[in-house]
Amino acid sequence: MTRIVLIVVGVALLGGLFAFGLLRGEPNRDIPSAIVGKQAPNFVLPLYERFHPDFGESLELAAQVGRPMVVNFWASWCAPCYEEAPVLQSYWERFQDTDVLFVGIQTQDRQQYDAGRAFMDQFGLSFPNGMDDASAVSVEWGLFGVPETYFINRDGTVEYRLVGPVTAAVLDEQLAAILR
Amino acid sequence: MTGTCAQRRGGTRLPAPVDARRPLPTLILRLLVTSIAVLAGLAAAQEVELESRVFEIARQLRCPVCVSESVADSSAQLAQQMRELIQQQLEEGRSEAQIFSYFTNRYGDWIMLEPPRRGIHLVVWLLPVVAALLGVGVVTVLVRRWLASAREPIEVDQADLDRVRADLESGAS
Repeated sequence: MTRIVLIVVGVALLGGLFAFGLLRGEPNRDIPSAIVGKQAPNFVLPLYERFHPDFGESLELAAQVGRPMVVNFWASWCAPCYEEAPVLQSYWERFQDTDVLFVGIQTQDRQQYDAGRAFMDQFGLSFPNGMDDASAVSVEWGLFGVPETYFINRDGTVEYRLVGPVTAAVLDEQLAAILR
Repeated sequence: MTGTCAQRRGGTRLPAPVDARRPLPTLILRLLVTSIAVLAGLAAAQEVELESRVFEIARQLRCPVCVSESVADSSAQLAQQMRELIQQQLEEGRSEAQIFSYFTNRYGDWIMLEPPRRGIHLVVWLLPVVAALLGVGVVTVLVRRWLASAREPIEVDQADLDRVRADLESGAS
């Protein structure tokens, strides 16, 4: 009798494990960022031509220290990036009179400059955007995918990192934190 | 004593040794070509060695934008960039440990395909050993029990024994 109970329990455990493996879905991609709480890694980002008159040919992060920043990584093939782009643009329009700076970095999109221009046209992006063509900035920032958004406070420390499309609620909360 | 044996024998002049006939510029040219070939061979060998070191290190790093793939196995752009960075750092003379530290500073311990042997990660390394030792212990105890029970004499009912004996003697099957 005891033997039968043991066999039933063993089979149930193995079956449960098998079902868990089948049903657990996509692995969790929200891995903690190693750069949160640290100084944001510097970059010199070549900007798209349309931003040259207002922001120059390239944007160096180190030269912006003292300003809170929102750094958003995107790609032209990334569907959630299309979801968040209008939200980012509307917040940039609302906050551009403060000293906060939004920066868009197109990455994992080698040589897709035309696709990048079409993306910016579609949402009328007016905050500086540039291409990280070799993904060098992505590695330096420990990027796991796109979209990812980093909130940087005035002393250049990374306050928060969001994996996935940025929402109004996140922007409200995190902008309040870095503008403090 | 200055003449050659051939001259002395038949007066026929033997051709001078090959190298002696070549003008100096040809020799220098040959030496140069050989040196370049040797250097090119050495450079190619060094490149192959460097490439294999890059892949050796990349095999131990997890591709951040892939699922269950190493930086060596992935064709993702980010993985390619990471391989380029590894090569660049090797060329700058950095050690394997320094390169791993560069990536863990940016991605945390997650980037290592093999968990580091410290802190909470030690559980991953020690648990299989503990489980194996426990398994060996349980099997040993069970085998001992089985052997001990096999050594114990079997108690047989005397009436049954007599019946079996009687059956054997009478030739009953």
